[in-house]
Amino acid sequence: MSCREIEHLFTAGLEAEAAAHRKTCGVCARAGADADETQAITSLLAAPAFSPALRRTLLEIPRMTVSCEGAEPLLAAALDDEVSADDRRRLDSHLSRCGACTAAANVLLSVRDLAQPEPPPWLATRLAAAKPAKPASRWRGFLSGRAVVAYAYGAAILVMILGWNPTTVVRKASFASLGVSTQKVVTVAQSSLTDRLGALQEKAVRTLAVWKGHIGGYSRAAVSNAIAIVSRPEPKKSPVRPRLSREGGISVTPGDFTTAASPRPEPFASRFRV
Amino acid sequence: MSDTDDKDLVARCREGNDEAWRELVDRFGPRVYAIAYHFTMKREDAEELSQEVFLKVFENLHRYDGGFPLVAWILSVSRNLCIDRYRRHKREKSFRFVSDEAVTTLLKSEDDPASMALKKERTKLLFSALAEIPEDLAEILVLRDLNGLAYEEIGKALDLPDGTVKSRLFRARAEVARKIRERHESRGSSSAFASIAVAAAGIV
Repeated sequence: MSCREIEHLFTAGLEAEAAAHRKTCGVCARAGADADETQAITSLLAAPAFSPALRRTLLEIPRMTVSCEGAEPLLAAALDDEVSADDRRRLDSHLSRCGACTAAANVLLSVRDLAQPEPPPWLATRLAAAKPAKPASRWRGFLSGRAVVAYAYGAAILVMILGWNPTTVVRKASFASLGVSTQKVVTVAQSSLTDRLGALQEKAVRTLAVWKGHIGGYSRAAVSNAIAIVSRPEPKKSPVRPRLSREGGISVTPGDFTTAASPRPEPFASRFRV
Repeated sequence: MSDTDDKDLVARCREGNDEAWRELVDRFGPRVYAIAYHFTMKREDAEELSQEVFLKVFENLHRYDGGFPLVAWILSVSRNLCIDRYRRHKREKSFRFVSDEAVTTLLKSEDDPASMALKKERTKLLFSALAEIPEDLAEILVLRDLNGLAYEEIGKALDLPDGTVKSRLFRARAEVARKIRERHESRGSSSAFASIAVAAAGIV
């Protein structure tokens, strides 16, 4: 039996051609006769009886298990032990057959078993040493030393811009109507205020000069450093010199291979030690 | 029944409608049991396999999209179960020793005793030969000739074109017949017919 033409014709859906081939080909005619014989045997067989007991069992299936979509809410509730015994049985029955739901259940259950990450040993010490931050006062910024100096400068500049003279200001304040003793006090205060304003102005000029000098000095230093770095020639590599040991052999110490340009890297774990 | 009706039935089953599930069991239970029986040739195993198939069907109802007949979908869902069971039985060689009781279940009782004995012998030979041919051929013969599924339903269930189903079915039938003939020839046709005659005489 070597001719498979009739099968090829069936595969192509050419049943009429297959029947015609069977009449002309001896091999396929015999195969066809065999096929007819088998069909004759099977056509005489009856279907096995479907028992009422099996039917009752099949009807109970919705109470025996759950579908994949029905398993989802039960699984969520089961994690909190909030399912009834019947539902638990149905869920277990489903999980025993469904690989996908079992995998999902295992993942959800594994969340419970996860350990809390342990803090590094240095963290407690560092936290204990850290000072608790004080809540910032609303007026703190306005009353700081720098702010007071800024107010003074601001007031002085304002006075100068407006062309006020503190002496005339004081004089205008009905100086003549005051008593003698009061006039003396005002005069002292007047000169004191003038002196203070002058001192403040002088201090401001000095501070500015100092800052100017610092900025100029740092700038010059930075520029000269940059020029020096750019213009510095490449350092020559000193060749490793093998040394003669006492025994007459050549020895090379490990330090010979370490240079300043390539320091030995620090171990990863030790970077996190305090 | 149309695919729309099938889809509606499945939708009602998914909603937990007991009446719909009863309808599904009554429509497909006998066919599933018959297929399971032909794959196992043991009543207890067939009942257990049917139960497994319906459990799987119930658990996977949400996967049915109405794209093809429900019987083909049930078959495709349960195919691995049936094939696994079939392979196990083949390994246990239970097909080679098909019991009289298992075969009698498949015979129509209105036949006279002599023809019953003849049919019983031929049926036992049929299942023995079926166990000797490749699985992909055997399953198509079981589904088509023993269970009467349409070519289209088998093609959808096994994901095969109709032409392939037909050619495999033809080959399966021819192979089975050849195996039966070889067995007859090896045992001697005279002894085979003698056993049938003795069986018939004993009944008469």
